[in-house]
Amino acid sequence: MIDINPDIEFKKEVKRLSNSSLNECIQCGNCSVVCTLAPDDSPFPRKEMIWAGWGMKERLIVNTDIWLCHQCGDCSTHCPRGVKPADVFSAIRQICYRHYARPKFLNTILSKPIWLPVAILIPVIVILSIIFMAGTLQIPEGTVSYSKFFPHAWLNGSFSIIVFTIYGFAISGLIKFWNDLKAHYHDTQPKKGFFRSFLSTINEILLHSKFSSCSAQKSRKTSHLLVFYGFILLLIVTCFAIVATLTHNYPLKFTNPVKIMGNIAGLMLLTGLGIMIINRLFNKKKYGNSNYSDWLLIISFFLLVISGGLVELARFMNWYYAYHLYFFHLVCVWFVVFYLPYAKFGHMLYRTIAIGFAKAIDRQ
Amino acid sequence: MGKRTGVYICSGCEIGKSINIEKLSQTVTGEQNITVCKNHSSLCSVEGYELISRDIEKEKLDSVVIAACSPRVKTGIFDFPENIICERVNLREQVVWCYEQGEEDTQMAAEDYLRMGIARVKNILISQPYIADDISSDILVVGGGITGITASIEGAKAGYTVHLIEKEKKLGGWSGKLYKQIPYKEPYNKLIEPVVKEKIRNVEDNPDIKIYKSATVSKITGQPGKFEIIIQNGQEQKITVGSIVASMGWKPYDANALTHLGYGKYKNVLTNVEFEELIKEYPEKQLAKSILFIQCAGSRDKDHLPYCSSFCCGTTLKQAKYIRDLSPETSVFIIYKDIRTPGLYEEFYKEVQKDDYLFMTKGEINEIKEKDNKLQISIKNTLLGDDIEITADMVVLATGMTPAGTEDLNLAYRLGKGLPELKYNFSDSHFICFPYETRRTGIYAAGSLRAPMDIPSSMEDAKGAMLKAIQCIEATKRGEAVHPRSGDKTYPSLYLERCTDCKRCTEECPFGAYDETEKGTPLPNPTRCRRCGICLGSCPERIISFSDFSINSVSAMIKSINVPDEFEEKPRILVFVCENDAYPALDMAGRKGLKYSPYVRIIPVRCIGSINNVWISDALSKGFDGILQIGCKPGDDYQCHFIHGSELTETRSENLQETLETMMLEPERIKTEFVEITDYYKITEIINEYVEAIEEIGPNPFKEI
Repeated sequence: MIDINPDIEFKKEVKRLSNSSLNECIQCGNCSVVCTLAPDDSPFPRKEMIWAGWGMKERLIVNTDIWLCHQCGDCSTHCPRGVKPADVFSAIRQICYRHYARPKFLNTILSKPIWLPVAILIPVIVILSIIFMAGTLQIPEGTVSYSKFFPHAWLNGSFSIIVFTIYGFAISGLIKFWNDLKAHYHDTQPKKGFFRSFLSTINEILLHSKFSSCSAQKSRKTSHLLVFYGFILLLIVTCFAIVATLTHNYPLKFTNPVKIMGNIAGLMLLTGLGIMIINRLFNKKKYGNSNYSDWLLIISFFLLVISGGLVELARFMNWYYAYHLYFFHLVCVWFVVFYLPYAKFGHMLYRTIAIGFAKAIDRQ
Repeated sequence: MGKRTGVYICSGCEIGKSINIEKLSQTVTGEQNITVCKNHSSLCSVEGYELISRDIEKEKLDSVVIAACSPRVKTGIFDFPENIICERVNLREQVVWCYEQGEEDTQMAAEDYLRMGIARVKNILISQPYIADDISSDILVVGGGITGITASIEGAKAGYTVHLIEKEKKLGGWSGKLYKQIPYKEPYNKLIEPVVKEKIRNVEDNPDIKIYKSATVSKITGQPGKFEIIIQNGQEQKITVGSIVASMGWKPYDANALTHLGYGKYKNVLTNVEFEELIKEYPEKQLAKSILFIQCAGSRDKDHLPYCSSFCCGTTLKQAKYIRDLSPETSVFIIYKDIRTPGLYEEFYKEVQKDDYLFMTKGEINEIKEKDNKLQISIKNTLLGDDIEITADMVVLATGMTPAGTEDLNLAYRLGKGLPELKYNFSDSHFICFPYETRRTGIYAAGSLRAPMDIPSSMEDAKGAMLKAIQCIEATKRGEAVHPRSGDKTYPSLYLERCTDCKRCTEECPFGAYDETEKGTPLPNPTRCRRCGICLGSCPERIISFSDFSINSVSAMIKSINVPDEFEEKPRILVFVCENDAYPALDMAGRKGLKYSPYVRIIPVRCIGSINNVWISDALSKGFDGILQIGCKPGDDYQCHFIHGSELTETRSENLQETLETMMLEPERIKTEFVEITDYYKITEIINEYVEAIEEIGPNPFKEI
């Protein structure tokens, strides 16, 4: 027996984020029937739709099913009332990032366009201060060498500290999420070890196997795969680059295999993001509602890749604006990497945890 | 009889190919006393028609027998002056198209049908309609709710004087007690003022509508065209009307039976009607923070009302809507079995649903408790997946409609004061075939008296019933029957000298057409009669007849049939079919080319309830081996156009079967079956199976006598 005390603010927020007329759901269950990912036993998204309509925030944000959904949009396509369950799920996930955000303001500044200047000013001020402290705050003369503007030691040192700090906070939120999941599903005995579940989750993510079952949006798998592997590759390249600043003659030559890998990764990202943007812009009906949070992620990612490419080009071409571009690129890095756990990019972390948990309790 | 009869046989539409027309005409001219007999390749052509018309004049014919297609087709073509009896022998659909071409049995069937047609013509008369004196064109409307008001306005618009009786001080009924009404057109997001308000003004301003408030009907006597009404409103008033619309409406289901939902136990548990009245009276009232609606409270529930009242879901949504309009902080919970918002109400449902403060789920109420002046409602089997408990300040029970009942009509009829009722006590009507007709001719039920209905449906219904009431007056003026035998100018005549006062006719007439004297002698009211002939079928003294349908006319048809002796091994089965469904089904079977046994001889009757036992005995003594009666479905979901006809025949046949047994005859020689008009496949199967069964039993032992 549960006491009903609807969180109407939550309900309004879900409606705002999803642009869904949530209440018009008639609980017909078409969505659950067409969903290829929903488990046979109490399938989603039918039940989540009424929970959202009844403002049941507490049970929604710790619900593994929210993360089992890969937002393919089959449910929205078949909904007779047009209440867009896929977008409602996306909205709930966003509320989940907010709920577990530590510190909260980092989510707040990413949640609405009105906060965008603040979100931009923070990296601008911080990076400028670091460069100022390094004593190199001016446009260097001569051939382009970014270390003249931002010494590698300062860059790697300061950014590493920021990464560890931010992810330390973020992990505390993720631990809370994990504990909440355990508390919510306390009646369900784990059937599998968590470690094994996570291994299988990683496998699933690497193969993108869940994406294949969606019928409404075929090209999603391709674009997401490209972005996913492009990002992973770039991450590896970046780590290597950090080491390389100490061990090699940095910057690397254009023919260096790592450099080539980085450029390929950049192209993969660009292609994947391009498909995503086109789909979201020109195929709204099929690809659902794109809200601010979606665009923030895609655009900052896109700018990151574009600026990265330009920075590289500028170095070879010896452009005057190379340092300006470099600075812009660093801000983009900040957006994508540092803000990651607080907005939509957080799905990498939350989804992995939730799917792993779901596998452990045999919910799939 | 000295009738001058012309027989015309058509050879078109494959008739000529299948039957030897020459032989056929020779046979009948040899046997029967007919004036002329002619063949034509297309009687329905202009030439064919002229051929007959010329003969009528030249040969001074008073009757024609047209052996061609079914009497159900080309009625406009074979249309002769009213003083000419026209009999159509169905050679096409029921002989040629359903029997093998050129076979002996086909020829025999054609000959028999022609004999039957001629025999019938010789035994019927031209109808002289019954036209009463002083037919009133006024219409009485009983009940001044939305239905009665709408009916009155429509009646007056059509040029009739309407008398509207309302038992309360004010017109409007339940719809007059509404705070707001559901919009029935765009925009669906705004409640409207009850439409009844304006309609009341229209009624009160209309000089053709005489309104009697705080009035009741203390007696209704008479018949369509001339009902005598005694109205009681302080003093006694007497009026005469031609027909009546009964729109007494509904009453809410008695919530005292709903103690399990807290009604009567907790003061904050109200019914939807009480809640509406509360808000109408105090729209400024501070509403509680949360209000919970329970749908189907005592509806669709075997212990209460088993049916859906169809208006409660809409009403709850409406009440939720105005609660939210009046009080922006109030949350509304709706617990339903199914939300039923037929038609355009779906649009309204969607609009109301948009509200963030509205929470709906399917669920069953487990228990309602009161704690700290608040109600705690525990609900199971919800869509939320768990049992839930909701704390609310007020609970509104969406209770259903029950019919108000019709005893208040105070009919001085032999068969009771009110209108006969059907399932769930709604007044008699057939919701598909004849929605407004009651079993009291000239009295038309409308609105929620006959089925649960919302306001727009009631208004539609009122128009329909008023139209029927008008039709009734006009038909009565012409001396014609109303539905389902509209236009029939015959009526029953009783040879009362031979009446034994057995009361069979007065009891069995489904329409209460007969009143009776203290002794039990029937007092016919011809304009109440629907001409079904059930009285004709019931009368053991055989004293009831219609000019074109009588004991003699059918007996003559039976006797005219040539029954082969038992050595010929050609059994004969007489099939009485109802004209309404079974006969057209047979025609359709013919049209589809479905074959059935040529051993049957079909006689259409007005209703199988009109089959008199004497015909059965005529048939048996003539040597028929079996008698099959095919009518429409009886029972709660009856399709019998005269409601009881099929049922009565079934009972009568059971009695007859007992009699057969005492005569050492097999009871299976009489059988009753039911079909729908669309059962053309089934009807041929029924016939074939019956013929097989009779062949197995063997010939009728009375054959040789």
